[in-house]
Amino acid sequence: MTLEAKLGHYRISKAEFEKIKVVLGREPEGLEWALFSALWSEHCSYKSSKIHLKKLYNQSDRVLESFGENAGVIDLGEGERVAFKMESHNHPSFIEPYQGAATGVGGILRDIFTMGARPIALANYLCFGQVKAPRMDYLVNGVVKGIGGYGNCVGVPTITGQTNFDPSYDENILVNALAVGLFRPGENIFTSVAKGPGNLVVYVGAKTGRDGVHGASMASESFDDDSESKKPTVQIGDPFFEKCLIESCLEVMKEDLVVAIQDMGAAGLTSSSFEMASKGGVGLRLDLDKVPVRDSEITAEEIMLSESQERMLLICEPSRLKRIEEVFAKWGLDAVCVGEVLEDRVVKITHEGETLVEIDPDLLTESAPQYDRPYKDWSSPRKSETLPAIDVRLEQAALGPLATVHGNSREFIYQQYDQRVGAQTIKDCQFPVGVVRLPDSDRRLGLVLGCRPHLMRMDAYLGGQDSVIYPTLQLAAYGFKALALTDCLNFGNPEKPELMTELVAALGGMNQFCERFDVPIISGNVSLYNETKDRNVTSTPSTGLVGLRDIEAPIPAAQFQAANRKVLLLQQTQVHTTGAWCDLGLARSAFTGSLDADGLFGLQEALIEANEQQLISSSRVVGRFGLAYNLARMCLGGMGMSSVASSFPSEFWVSERLYEVIVEVDPSQVQALQSLCQSKQVTALEIGMTGGDQLNLESSSIKIDQLLNSYQAGVGESFGLA
Amino acid sequence: MKKIGVLRFLGTNCDRDIWQAIEMVHGQPEWLWYQDQFDPNDYAGFVVPGGFSYGDYLRSGALAARTPVMKSLQEAAAKGKPILGICNGFQILCEAHLLPGALVQNEGRRFVDKWLDVQVSTENKYFGGADKSFHLPIAHQDGRFVADNVDDLKSKGQVWVTYQHNPNGSFDDIAGVQNESGNVAGLMPHPERAMAEWMGGSDGLSFFEGMVS
Repeated sequence: MTLEAKLGHYRISKAEFEKIKVVLGREPEGLEWALFSALWSEHCSYKSSKIHLKKLYNQSDRVLESFGENAGVIDLGEGERVAFKMESHNHPSFIEPYQGAATGVGGILRDIFTMGARPIALANYLCFGQVKAPRMDYLVNGVVKGIGGYGNCVGVPTITGQTNFDPSYDENILVNALAVGLFRPGENIFTSVAKGPGNLVVYVGAKTGRDGVHGASMASESFDDDSESKKPTVQIGDPFFEKCLIESCLEVMKEDLVVAIQDMGAAGLTSSSFEMASKGGVGLRLDLDKVPVRDSEITAEEIMLSESQERMLLICEPSRLKRIEEVFAKWGLDAVCVGEVLEDRVVKITHEGETLVEIDPDLLTESAPQYDRPYKDWSSPRKSETLPAIDVRLEQAALGPLATVHGNSREFIYQQYDQRVGAQTIKDCQFPVGVVRLPDSDRRLGLVLGCRPHLMRMDAYLGGQDSVIYPTLQLAAYGFKALALTDCLNFGNPEKPELMTELVAALGGMNQFCERFDVPIISGNVSLYNETKDRNVTSTPSTGLVGLRDIEAPIPAAQFQAANRKVLLLQQTQVHTTGAWCDLGLARSAFTGSLDADGLFGLQEALIEANEQQLISSSRVVGRFGLAYNLARMCLGGMGMSSVASSFPSEFWVSERLYEVIVEVDPSQVQALQSLCQSKQVTALEIGMTGGDQLNLESSSIKIDQLLNSYQAGVGESFGLA
Repeated sequence: MKKIGVLRFLGTNCDRDIWQAIEMVHGQPEWLWYQDQFDPNDYAGFVVPGGFSYGDYLRSGALAARTPVMKSLQEAAAKGKPILGICNGFQILCEAHLLPGALVQNEGRRFVDKWLDVQVSTENKYFGGADKSFHLPIAHQDGRFVADNVDDLKSKGQVWVTYQHNPNGSFDDIAGVQNESGNVAGLMPHPERAMAEWMGGSDGLSFFEGMVS
């Protein structure tokens, strides 16, 4: 093979080849090519984003583990801690939607139970193209089935999600999966730091096959017309195996038999072994002849690069091996000693009696390239002095979006997910926030996803801020204090300065709010090169936030509950936007103003205190399509409302303003709520009264039945799902 | 406290939920591992929990039905001990021929998770109490009950609960059946997920209370 061909095969650039020569003091040989290809890929090394990720806020006292480990962990008090993380599986899901999405769920679960936490909740953030785009019904159906097929079988409830549709995802969908795991009081946190020369390296779980070879480097490339030919790089999952792996791993950790543990995710055995050794400042000897394989013809390179699913690598003291083997055997799984920890910082790989590689692990991990790719300061091109008109009548503003793919019910998706296995679910996917019960303290843990692509298309900085603040307010509206955040930075080609500029702007916006709200960013991943034939996806920094509710009273509803109650709008209005109307072609994308963290902090406090004082019976943060549409959503439970006699300008009902929250309040509590809001510099504007079976806004009135019909029809039929 | 045996197979995933439910009605749960046998006399009753035993390979419940623990469960059934199978547990009891009929893929060929209403068709003396209807969640892919002889089952009082709105194409809206003597019963809905108001309802309580009282 010529050098050019070799570089192409291993997806290594000419410049990086030169750097490898400097690092090694010679050209790479044999298996080293594959190791550099995997570990220096964008997917494993974060080489384009690392210098920006280092700036992220993660210093809060409640953070127990963050970047560098398989998942972040935060302290909830009372002995309870949670691990959580979100990860993308965009490229594989576009190639093969069922397996791509399924193994995305499997992979993120392993990141969680690797830490010693039992997975208690799943969520997924999905972006699809237009309904009519080629293969889109196949992709939607396949992804949803894949997520359900895996999550339902392993027995972890999917409690929330978000699904967006936009043409920018026509040829590069986004599939981000989030998992949360719980450490109950007394349970230990485990890490991936290899320790103790003479300790054993143990391979557990499924056998290694040829699936997923070169998966990490594939995920670091743009798509072309040839995505079909990349199918062999997609992994195949087996959730039954994973379920047995969860139980056996948690059992050996409970018996304290494990020194360190890491799952074999991207770049499989390569990344797990090198990263564990590098973190521990030790070496490892790996004997590939001992690795359980599915196919006797498999090569050493394939063993090292395989992304076969449901496998873990653990380190134990020699005396523990027998008991570990027993526990895994009980669950029908293999546990095989494949090497040992070495004092010298060298990873030594042998196969068929031959030493294939002897290399300092830091050369592949710590010495990986880092790029400060060119970008510019953010200039907010769509910011304007006045807001352009939105071309929609009041009745259509309430009803219209319900019948579109942007505002429709997502029931056809979440009905395919088991939302209640585990028997701790309090609020399922129907609710704006997923909620599970913490069994030892009887407190409530909330989970919500953020990032609204329509705002990212408007302004990357504002959209980044919104990815933090909107979900934080959603949590607060139901009495939850946001505690920490994970993210998936789905962006296009970082080698294009305009894309890198968006990445830096969005991260800047996110970080500013994370710091002010003390919501540390504790985990996540970066998915770049989400482009096909030079067309980039909307920059989409999806987020997942957990929050805690320490209040015994019932959680407010998301729909109006009873007649003759006041409907108030709590306002900290700082930015006016034309919002999602742009997606329908009814407005020009523009906004006025800028966000002020202190004011919004007051709104968060007001909402949580209103929950503590039990002042509100239902609430909803006004989201996409503005007030009229969001009031329509609140009527879908069957209880209507009528606006007060005073007349608001038409823009009041339709523009998207950041931020406002609708609340339903018993008349006897209005004064208490108003004085609470006043103390937090939040405006509490009375806009209506509940009652009847219609939504009456000024002179327009719509029957709730009609709202429901629109809300429930449409999307499922479009995707052959109804 | 009455001791209730909870069966665990590889892939069972509602086992801890059943444990919680039995504790909520003040029973004493105990694990029964699929490779082990047990003395039926040591227990007041048994629950076969839901999940995906053996990944639903071959057919849902088929592999679990042929494990050592089921030999003891057969004995327990013959001795008249109350046995409740839920979801995959129901599928296992059918595969073990402790219950009539079979559960096949939903008519819509998709997994369905939702709350719905079921009614008691013929009362069971152990499970479900005297209530005539229950609000319970379902979550299954293979929940469509089929049998050659539904009229026969009806006349023998073996049709236990039925759906108000059939979610999966089950024959005669059947959601749960019982054996002729009523000590073995299975249903697709999950009563262990409806044990308290915070779960969304507490209609599931009576499915466990009978066994421990």
